[in-house]
Amino acid sequence: MPPKKKEGQQKSRANLGEDDALEWLKPRQLIKPDEQEDVAESDLVEEVGRILTTLNPQWVLDEVAYHYGRHQFLVKPKPTFGKAYPLLIIAGTAIRKDSEEAKAQISAGYGMVGFDDAGPKKVKVKKSSAEEEEEEEKEAAAPTDEPAGEEDVAHDEEKPADEPKEEAPPPPETVEAVEEVVPEVVEEEAEPDDGQAATLDAALSVLDIKPRVKKLANQFNFCERAALTYNFPRRSIDTQTIPPPRATYGSTALQCIIFDYYTEDYAKKMKEKEEEKPKRMKKKETKHEKTAQQIHDEQLAQRIREAWSILERLVNQNVYDDIAQDYRYWDDPSDEFREGMGSLLPLWKFQFDPMSKHAVCDVQWNTHYQDLFAVAYGSLDFTNQQKNGCLCMYSIKNPAYPEYAVITESPVICIDVYREIPYLYCVGLYDGNVCVYNAQLTLQAAYQYKSDSVRDKHSNIVWEIRWGPRLIDGEASFFSISGDGRVVQWAVMPGELQATTIITLSSNAPPIAGPDGTMLTVNSCGSCICFHPENPELFLVGTEDGMIHTCSLKYNRNYVRSVQGHHMPVYRIHYNYFNNSIYASCSGDWRVKIWEDGRDEPLFMFELGSPVGDVKWAPYSSTVFAACTADGKVYVFDLNVDKYRPICVQAVVSKKTKKLTRLDFNERLPVIVCGDTKGTCHVLKLSPNLRVMCKPPKKAKEVIEQKTLQIMKLDKLISLVRDPPFQTGVVDEKFEDD
Amino acid sequence: MGDEVAAPGGTVEKVIHTYPLIRHSDMSEEMRIEAMELSVTACEKFAANNELAARMVKESMDKKFGAAFHVVVGESYGFEITYECTTICYMYFGGNQAIVIWKCS
Repeated sequence: MPPKKKEGQQKSRANLGEDDALEWLKPRQLIKPDEQEDVAESDLVEEVGRILTTLNPQWVLDEVAYHYGRHQFLVKPKPTFGKAYPLLIIAGTAIRKDSEEAKAQISAGYGMVGFDDAGPKKVKVKKSSAEEEEEEEKEAAAPTDEPAGEEDVAHDEEKPADEPKEEAPPPPETVEAVEEVVPEVVEEEAEPDDGQAATLDAALSVLDIKPRVKKLANQFNFCERAALTYNFPRRSIDTQTIPPPRATYGSTALQCIIFDYYTEDYAKKMKEKEEEKPKRMKKKETKHEKTAQQIHDEQLAQRIREAWSILERLVNQNVYDDIAQDYRYWDDPSDEFREGMGSLLPLWKFQFDPMSKHAVCDVQWNTHYQDLFAVAYGSLDFTNQQKNGCLCMYSIKNPAYPEYAVITESPVICIDVYREIPYLYCVGLYDGNVCVYNAQLTLQAAYQYKSDSVRDKHSNIVWEIRWGPRLIDGEASFFSISGDGRVVQWAVMPGELQATTIITLSSNAPPIAGPDGTMLTVNSCGSCICFHPENPELFLVGTEDGMIHTCSLKYNRNYVRSVQGHHMPVYRIHYNYFNNSIYASCSGDWRVKIWEDGRDEPLFMFELGSPVGDVKWAPYSSTVFAACTADGKVYVFDLNVDKYRPICVQAVVSKKTKKLTRLDFNERLPVIVCGDTKGTCHVLKLSPNLRVMCKPPKKAKEVIEQKTLQIMKLDKLISLVRDPPFQTGVVDEKFEDD
Repeated sequence: MGDEVAAPGGTVEKVIHTYPLIRHSDMSEEMRIEAMELSVTACEKFAANNELAARMVKESMDKKFGAAFHVVVGESYGFEITYECTTICYMYFGGNQAIVIWKCS
């Protein structure tokens, strides 16, 4: 501020004000001209008064001009208004209060009125020249200033006695003071009015208006009125909902913690699984806590049991000594004289007393223990079904009593032993359930796994059941085929069996109209299933209407191939052990047929004069197979010896009372086992002619393996049959014209 | 530390756990199963990138159950979180990963 003051008196105060106002805008850096003289600090601080006067310093009082006419200098005539020339004059309505007119008006009573005498009278007054001059000057300096204020200031300056201006000699301050005065005066004027308005507002009802002497606000008796509308007080109202409940949780995830938790969980799961298995057994065990004495007793009992079983074996060996001798050493000497023909030597008969009324529905040698075979006791008499069934395991070392026997709730129809775990059996039941039995568990535990009767069991008899390859996750799995036309794969999961329908066997029969116009599609009833020995995806399915379908695990709707193999239910399909494209099938239409994959016509066909219950290829020879029929006979064929007739026909059971149902070749011993409808299993020994091995050709220089020879033998045989049309093989003359 | 513990695990018993294991959860059954399946999918899809897996779970959960889910996927970390009740799920997966899912907006 001080440096500015020095700049000179001609600088108007408006400019000063402007500078002041713009202070905030500009950075306060003063640019000093080079030639600026240095001023001492004390001089800068010193305040220099500036006095505003009405005198125009530019005004030359006696201006002279040369008059060429008179040839002399003359004083120039002055205009009335000094240097300013009015362009427009608008007369105000206000009159000065100390003018004659105002005095007259006041004396006349104007101004005595209480509250609305803002403009007393409109009188035109010509301003004096001095006033005008003042005005001009101010306007030039600050044209935006309020005229009333302007007048005020002018008046103030004219009448110094009115204002406190003279007490404050420093001119700038005076200016400010004057400036301040203006609004003050106005406010003074406004305040009473406001007060009045307020009182009016507040006491409108009272209407107590007293005429009073108007306080003169200014020289013009000019006042302003203003009113404020009532402002409603603001208030804010808000509500808050209850925030959702929160909680905190903290933990630490470390590899060790995760590992421990997994281990714990895994252990728990394993324990649960353990408990799942022998639940019934567990219950019984938990009933009575074992004391040391009891444990001792049990151990003793176990030892006694072992001793007893040895004793039993001994006794049996003595009792059946002659049979054992026959089994081991006796080969029918008559074979030498019967060219190509053979016989079967009946050895032991196995019976289980509670199952004397049941039929042997399936029989299978164990793949690991050569002396052990499993028997499924069920019933094939569908009008008079048995209520229960039985799974038994017999050893030929002990023909008197089964090694393992477990009674099932429903007749057992089919059975299969797991090759990897030879004590694991899967069985298919008459009521559509499938179970897995573990022969190592005690009898109390019964089955280890059973299909869920509600959720996924078959809705018809399970006709055949076969273990399959392990699944990707390593679970064992088996397949079952049932009369409801479904092939289901069962995965043996921990604690449960998981069913997957592989294929639903569609039939050619048109849909049957059901209730309410629905159409029911008819499934054909599956009766047997056989997996391709090499390609685990391919399998053959025989149906009750005699069709043989080649299916794949990959297609669940369509068959790969389909052949009308028989005219009656197909009971068994069995692949040759040596050639993967050759399989045999047997059926209720009395026929056994030998097929080659991809051919619609069988290679061989044999009529056996009675429903054929089972056909199996011999594991030792590629051309030998055996079949058993409902009239109690076992037929053994060797295609290499005779392409048209069996080389052995033997009646094993009485035709009138019993039928043969199933048979099975032992994989290593020269015996077969066959079951009948009265619950008896017959073990028969094959005579030497029935198990002729191949002789290597005399020309051959090196030793050829038996297996290769067998394959060669079958190939040679097939090539003979392939080209000419097939011929019906005939067993008996009387069936020739079937 | 993690290695020390993992090493005997590899030698003593060759059990590799691949299933998801809920450690702590107060979610509803439906939500928990959803979260579990999502985590399994995400962790299998982005086995090498936990960040992407977490993002996938978070975005899917946001879509299904409303915004502001938070997901942490990692092998070793500690946490202390404030969550809206019935929205937390702390689980393990694949034998070595820990996944926390919670909602807090």
